Amino acid sequence: MKFPYSMLLDFVQTDLTAEEAGDLLTMAGFELEGIEEVEGEKVLDIKVMSNRGDGLSILGLAREVLAKEQDSVPTELYLNAASRFADRPAPTTPNPATATIETPDCNRFACRVFEGVTNGPSPDWIQTRLRKAGQRPISLFVDLTNYVMMELGQPLHAFDYDKLRGGRIVVRKPRPGETLTTLDGKEHELQPDQMMICDAERPVSVAGVMGGEETEVTAGTTRVLLESASFLNTSIRRTRKQLGLNTEASYRFERSVDPDGVVAAIERFSDLLGQAGSEIFDVYPGKVERQPVAVKMDRARVLLGMYIEDKQAQGYLVRLGMEVMGHGDPFYVVPPSWRPDIVAQEDLVEELGRVHGYEEIPELLPAGTTTLGGQRGQMEEVDRLREAAIRAGYIQIVSHSLRDLHPLDAPGERVEPRNPASPEMAYLRNSLLPSLADAARRNGGRDLHLFEIGKVFSRSSSGFGESRSIGFMSTGELIPSDRKGEAVPNATFFSLKGDLEAISHAVGRLLEASAPLEGDNRLHPSRQAQLVHQGAAVGVLGQIHPSVSEELRLPRETIVAELDVDALLSDSESQLALRPISRNPSIRRDIALLIDKAVPYREIDQAVIQSGGEILERHWLFDVFEGQGIPDGKHSLGIALQLRKFGDNLTDEEANQVRAKVVAALAQLGGATR
Amino acid sequence: MAGVFVGFPIALKNSMVEKPTRPGWFQTSHNGLFMSEVETLKTQALQQIAHTASAADLKMLHSALLGKSGSLSGLLRQLGQIRDPEEKRAFGKAVNDAKAEVEAAVESRLAELRSKELEAELASEQIDVTMPGRRPRVGYEHILQLTTDKIKKVMGGLGFEYLEGPELEDFQYNFTALNYPPDHPAMDDQDTFYVTDDLVLRTQCTALQGRVYELRKPPLRVVTVGRTYRNEAIDRTHNHTFHQVDCFMIDEGVSMAHLKGTLGLFARAMFGPDVRVRFRPDFFPFVEPGVDYAISTPKLFGGRWVELGGAGLIHPNILRAYGINPDIHSGFAFGLGVERIPMMAYGVDDLRLFLENDLRFLEQFRSAPPVAAGVGLAAQEDVRSRLTAMSPLEAAVEHHVTA
Repeated sequence: MKFPYSMLLDFVQTDLTAEEAGDLLTMAGFELEGIEEVEGEKVLDIKVMSNRGDGLSILGLAREVLAKEQDSVPTELYLNAASRFADRPAPTTPNPATATIETPDCNRFACRVFEGVTNGPSPDWIQTRLRKAGQRPISLFVDLTNYVMMELGQPLHAFDYDKLRGGRIVVRKPRPGETLTTLDGKEHELQPDQMMICDAERPVSVAGVMGGEETEVTAGTTRVLLESASFLNTSIRRTRKQLGLNTEASYRFERSVDPDGVVAAIERFSDLLGQAGSEIFDVYPGKVERQPVAVKMDRARVLLGMYIEDKQAQGYLVRLGMEVMGHGDPFYVVPPSWRPDIVAQEDLVEELGRVHGYEEIPELLPAGTTTLGGQRGQMEEVDRLREAAIRAGYIQIVSHSLRDLHPLDAPGERVEPRNPASPEMAYLRNSLLPSLADAARRNGGRDLHLFEIGKVFSRSSSGFGESRSIGFMSTGELIPSDRKGEAVPNATFFSLKGDLEAISHAVGRLLEASAPLEGDNRLHPSRQAQLVHQGAAVGVLGQIHPSVSEELRLPRETIVAELDVDALLSDSESQLALRPISRNPSIRRDIALLIDKAVPYREIDQAVIQSGGEILERHWLFDVFEGQGIPDGKHSLGIALQLRKFGDNLTDEEANQVRAKVVAALAQLGGATR
Repeated sequence: MAGVFVGFPIALKNSMVEKPTRPGWFQTSHNGLFMSEVETLKTQALQQIAHTASAADLKMLHSALLGKSGSLSGLLRQLGQIRDPEEKRAFGKAVNDAKAEVEAAVESRLAELRSKELEAELASEQIDVTMPGRRPRVGYEHILQLTTDKIKKVMGGLGFEYLEGPELEDFQYNFTALNYPPDHPAMDDQDTFYVTDDLVLRTQCTALQGRVYELRKPPLRVVTVGRTYRNEAIDRTHNHTFHQVDCFMIDEGVSMAHLKGTLGLFARAMFGPDVRVRFRPDFFPFVEPGVDYAISTPKLFGGRWVELGGAGLIHPNILRAYGINPDIHSGFAFGLGVERIPMMAYGVDDLRLFLENDLRFLEQFRSAPPVAAGVGLAAQEDVRSRLTAMSPLEAAVEHHVTA
C-alpha cells in the first residue's frame, strides 16, 4: 500500500522520520518495499501480509507504530477512529432507502443517502494525497470513497441514488440470465454463485469488487447512496476471479475488512464531505462474538525462547486493541474485530514476539533427542551413482523439466501443465536426452561428455508417473588431445557402455546390454541396445540416429544412454561378497577364435565362464579382427584367459587343460581356433 | 671421444697411455726382475685407469688388464719360469695383490665416470617446467549439486535426515496439509502449475512435511532439497523452476531460539563465520509465529540485511492434524531457495544461468570451497556470548527452554 507519510502522521504523533517509521513497520511485519519523494513528500510503499487485511489502512499501520514505539502518541483522529466516531450525533433526516441481505455471504450492509450534493472535484489536499499515493483523482464522491478506504481500510461505493430503481438495495446472488456492465465498460454474464448488490429490479454492482456503469456517480448527480459493507472473503475472491476483476476493494475484502468498522467509515466520509446526510441504514446479520483465547505465558516463553514478563505481555496485547481478561496463567484475550487471524494461543505468541522484538531471541542449537542425520538407503545410492558418473569423467548438467517438444523425447503420452505461461514450458520432460542435446549444442557440440540426473514424467492409463532418471551424452575425444597429430580415442558405443558398467557397478548393480526387442527410433537402428538389470529393461544405450544428429547439428557419432534409476535401484542393494585373493602366480592362455559374426559375444562369454571352471580367474576380449584371411561373415576374436589356483601353483599342463575345455566349448558355438 | 683400444697393449691411440715397457720373456729368470715388472705394470695400469675418460673405455681397459689375456693376468704365466718355490709364492702373491689393487681402482673410477655421465645425461634431458600440463578429462558437479551436497552435510551434522518427495505433488500435500485455508489469497503468492485439479507441480518443498508426518512421529528432524515450480515468466531474478531447501524438526520444547540458532549455524556454514541472522514477522499458513529471515555479513553485503527465506514454528493445526499434541511438542521449519546461496556467496546476478548449462559458467565452480571453516565454533561462541549477556532471569528461562 502506497501512502504519503503525512497520512500516517494524521493518526500518530511521533518524532520518527518516514524512513524510521518504515523500518519500524518492516520489523513489525509490514515490509517497507520502497520510499520515494513525490511532490516534496516522502511516500511509503508497504507490503502487507495476506493474513493482515487490517494493515491495508493507515489506521491499522498507525496501530502497529503505537504498539511498537513507546514514545508515539495517538492523535485525535486515531482516537476517533478507534472509537468508531461514536460521538457523532445521529442525523435526523430519515434514510429514503432500505436494504435487505438475501445471502449468507454478506455479513453486514450499511448505507447513507446524501441529498442536494454536487459531484465536482474534491478538495485540493485530498487530490494531492491521492496523487502521491499513486491514484488518479476523479470526482468528489469517488475520491472520498478512495480516501476513506486508504485511511480506514473500508471499501465504500457511491451510487447515483436517482439511478437506483425502487429505493431499495438487495444483496443477493444473480438470477439466471442477469448481466451487469461494470465501471470499466465490460458486460458480464453473471453466474449463480456470485454476489451482487441489486436495486429493486437488477444487479447494480458486483459486491465488494466493482460498481456498475449505469448507476455510477457523474457530474450531474445530486443524490448519492453511500454503501459500506462487509462480505465473506472467499465469496469475493471467487466472484472476482470468475469475472477477471481485481480492485483495491476486492483486494481488501479477500484479506479482511473489519466488520465493526462499516459504519465508522460512513461517519468519516460524512466528516470529510462536511455533510451529515441521512440516518444510516444498517443490517448486520453476520455479527460474530469473538471467543477468548487462553494464553499460558510459560508456554509462550518456551515457544519464543525468550523472556517476556506477564505484565509486559499484556501491555503489548492491549496496545494492539485486544481485550485482556484475568491475570493468571492462563489469562484470556479477546481479539478485536479487525484481527480474524487471531484464533489460537500461537497467534498471540507471534504478537508478543514481534512487538517485543525478534531481535531479542537468542541463538541456541536444538537440545532434546539426538537423531541420526544424513541419508540412508536409496538416497545414498543415488549419490553414489552420481559420484561414479563424475569419476568416470562426465560433467553434470541440471536443466528445466518444463520444456517444448524435442526429437529425442521418449515415446509415450506426455504430462502437461494446464496453464503454461509460454510454449517453452508446455510439457514435462519424459527423457533427459533432449536437454543433454541442448546443453551439447550450447557448448559447441564437440568433444563433450555430459550427464544429468533428475525426474522424468509420464502418463498412462493408470495415472501419472514420476521417476528418477540418469542420462548420458558422449561425443568426440575421450581425453583431450594435447599436441598436434596426437591420436586420442573417441567416444564410441563401447566407451559409454564400459562407463555405464563401471557406474552401475559402483552401486553393486550389473547391467547387461541386449539387442532391443523394439527399435528406439531416436537411435541408430543397428547400434542400440536395451539395458537390462536382473531381467528387467531399465534403459537404452546407443548412437543417436544419424538423421536426428544431423537435425540437431551434433556429430554423427554421438552416443547417448538413459537409465531409470528407480528401476535400477529397486531391488535391495546387493551385498558385497568379499573374495579371498590368491597369492599363487597366474598363467595366461590366449585363444584366437574364428567364429560367425552372428554369434553374440555374450554367448561366447557364457561358454568361456562355464567351461573355464574355478581356475579361470578372469578373461577378456583383446582383439577383434576381420578382413584379410578371414572368411566373409566371420571374425577372429582374441580371448585372453587368466588362470590361477588358490593355495597351489598351477602347472602348464593344468592351464592347457582349461584352455582345451574352453576351446571345446567354443567349438560347440561353431568357433574354430586359428 | 677418448681413445679406443684396439687390443692392448699393442696399440693405443691415446698418447697419455704409454706403451708398457717390459723385459723380454726369456731374457732373464731373475726373480727381482719379475717383481719389478709387476710393480711397473701396476703403476702404469693405475695411471691409465686414472686417465680413462669414459665408462666404455674403462671397461675395455679393464679387460685388457685383468681379462683372460690381460697384461696383468698374463704375468701369472711367468710362474712356470720360477723354480724356487719361495720366489714362486712371493711372485704369485705380488701379482694377485696388484690385480686386486687395479680392480679396486677400476671400480672406483667407474663409479666416478658413471656419476659424471649420468649428470651429463640428466642435464641433456632438461624440460621447460613452465610449459602447460597435460589436460586430463575431468567430470564435475553442477553448482546446484555442490550446494545441495553442502546443505546435506551441514544439516546432516545437526541430525537432520535427508528425504525427498515428488515434484508432481498432490494439491493436498502442497496446500491443504500445510494449513492453507480453501480459497485463500495466500495461494495467489504462488502461481501454481496445475496438471489436474488435484495434482500440481509442487510450489514448495514444504509439501514433504505432511508425507513425513504420516509415517513418522516426533522426535524428528528432516532436510529436503528439491525442485519447485511457479508459473511465472523468466527474467534475471525469476524462473518458473528453481530449487528449495526445506528443514523441519519436531521435539519437546523446540523454540524460536532453536530456529534462530540452527539458521545461524546454517547461514555461517554457507556464507562464512561472521554471518548474523535477523527475524522479521511474515506470514506463511504453515507456521505460527512466521518470520522471514535475513542475513548480514560485513564481508558479503557491507552490513546490509539480505532476505534469505521463510521460517517459523510449525502451525499447531498441522501438528494436531497428524496426531501430535501441540501442548507437548513443538517444531520449527525453514526454507530457502538453493540458488540464493551461490548467488549471494559468489555474486551470481542472473538466476537463468543455473539451468542454462553453459560450461563456461559451471566449470568455475569446480573449486567451490566446501563448508566454511570454523563455523561450529563461531556458532557456539555466539550462543555463549548471548547467554552471558542475559540476565539471571533470562538465563533461567533459557535453562527451562533447553532442559
